[in-house]
Amino acid sequence: MAKRVLCKFFAHGACLKGEHCEFSHDWKDPSNNICTFYQKGACAFGSRCRYEHVKGSRAQSSGSSSSANSHQSLAFDSALAHPSRTASSGVALVPGTLSELSAFSSPFLPPPKPAWSDSLDDGDFDHNEDDDVGETRSARPADRAICSFAAAGNCPRGENCPHIHGDICPSCGKHCLHPYRPVEREEHMRTCEEKHKQLEALKRSQEIECSVCLERVLSKPTVAERKFGILSECDHPFCISCIRNWRSSSPTSGMDVNSALRACPICRKLSYFVIPSVIWYNTKEEKEEIVDSYKARLSSIDCKHFDFGNGNCPFGTSCFYKHTVKPGSYVWKFHRPPPRRPPPRRSDTVRMDALYEMFEHLEELEDYTPGDLDIPLEVQLLLMQLGLYPSDSSDDELNY
Amino acid sequence: MVDFARVQKELQECSRDIERSGIKVVPKSDANLACLLGTIPGPIGTPYEGGTFQIDISLPDAYPFEPPKMQFTTKVWHPNISSQSGAICLDILKDQWSPALTLKTALLSVQALLSAPQPDDPQDAVVAQQYLRDYQTFVGTARYWTESFAKSSSIGIDEKVKRLVEMGFPEGRARSALETVGGDENLALETLCSG
Repeated sequence: MAKRVLCKFFAHGACLKGEHCEFSHDWKDPSNNICTFYQKGACAFGSRCRYEHVKGSRAQSSGSSSSANSHQSLAFDSALAHPSRTASSGVALVPGTLSELSAFSSPFLPPPKPAWSDSLDDGDFDHNEDDDVGETRSARPADRAICSFAAAGNCPRGENCPHIHGDICPSCGKHCLHPYRPVEREEHMRTCEEKHKQLEALKRSQEIECSVCLERVLSKPTVAERKFGILSECDHPFCISCIRNWRSSSPTSGMDVNSALRACPICRKLSYFVIPSVIWYNTKEEKEEIVDSYKARLSSIDCKHFDFGNGNCPFGTSCFYKHTVKPGSYVWKFHRPPPRRPPPRRSDTVRMDALYEMFEHLEELEDYTPGDLDIPLEVQLLLMQLGLYPSDSSDDELNY
Repeated sequence: MVDFARVQKELQECSRDIERSGIKVVPKSDANLACLLGTIPGPIGTPYEGGTFQIDISLPDAYPFEPPKMQFTTKVWHPNISSQSGAICLDILKDQWSPALTLKTALLSVQALLSAPQPDDPQDAVVAQQYLRDYQTFVGTARYWTESFAKSSSIGIDEKVKRLVEMGFPEGRARSALETVGGDENLALETLCSG
């Protein structure tokens, strides 16, 4: 087996493959000093790169042994003498592809991924077997890109187009299925079908009315309103604003929060949460998918109530948001959530500071239990906030 | 703020369906959609059959998240409706309200209440007691009230009384005569003359 290119790991004295290495461990062989990033189109080092900036390492003069491939490419590169010129031309004119292109006499540049770049992606450390097929590569239909014009809908060249025209995709009706790349075909068909399904679902969703505002949910005036609120336990559609309004509305006399407000307005089944969605589902699986993806999205966001262990989240362990405990936080220290307190209002802070001295006076009256003091309600509340006045919530703080 | 777009839709829907349900809702004035007048026919097979009952509806600001306030303006003899004020005792107009209910469905429920009284949860204790103790009298009174107050001919009963009074009959007798004949002015006159 010919090992023409010097192994760069060997050159550093650290090739783990030893004898089995595909690359040459012979110092006489030339090293491959070509920048692969440049070949892929973007080398961050630019002119300062210590590798050679040459396009098209896969020189394949016809008839040459392909295993000599890299070696050939070097020869080719040096033959070019002015690599920058090739670079400036934008396309790598490798002999192999050159002949191919000239055969087609086409001014069309192959679509985004040039034929050679595909084989280049395999890298310099390619296996020999790859190299062996290297020569036939460019000729192999699977390696040829399909005509991007045809894929987009219409190729002006029609029958005369030098590029492969893809097969028609049954979902999108475009010539975008590569005839020789089964994986890509399947991938496209799958995504296409999914898109199609989603579009269908969206069409169906257009018709659905909210039973509270009696309007079509997706025809509401503002974009923010055009969302469904999916109830966890039943399948009655509402717009998100209506159902949230209902669930958060202040109960009128005698109305029970749990049996009336948390229930579906139509079937009165109790639901514990509402999920917003731009699409209405058709099947149970679709609903599950929407709910799961929503939960997954929320679980990556930190809960603002929990506040990394310093706050008290009213939803506790069933909160959809992430509860990250930061070292040094309340939960981290005491392994339980801090007592509930009303959130401090910004406007109050200044006033509270000013009143603090007054509270210190009150503290001096230790003989009196706070209950005996004739403290106005507002002041009591403030005291509670400062933890100086016993309340139900701060009691347990003192008990641990 | 009342959701007037919804109220507007409800009114349209209601007028589209008026043939089938017989339930009518109209705004008292075009300027204010929060004050409405509902009309329901008395359910067939009940003492209220043949009557047309008017219900005063006022929508709270939070409608449809709060129930509409409904009250009979037509006098009704029913255990769950105040014979004095017309107040309705119905759970969906109170704690069982749901925003998915509409004025039409609420009125339908009121209509259903007419055919299925709940004397155990009364609004008018006198009527409820009568309903439980002496059902026949209850039916008679309810039918009489329907004839007197809920029929188009009886709407101007006060006027008829007034006319009979003008003829020289005492008001109490005129009224009771009208009541016994079911609101027919001529029959009442005959009764008064023969009596």
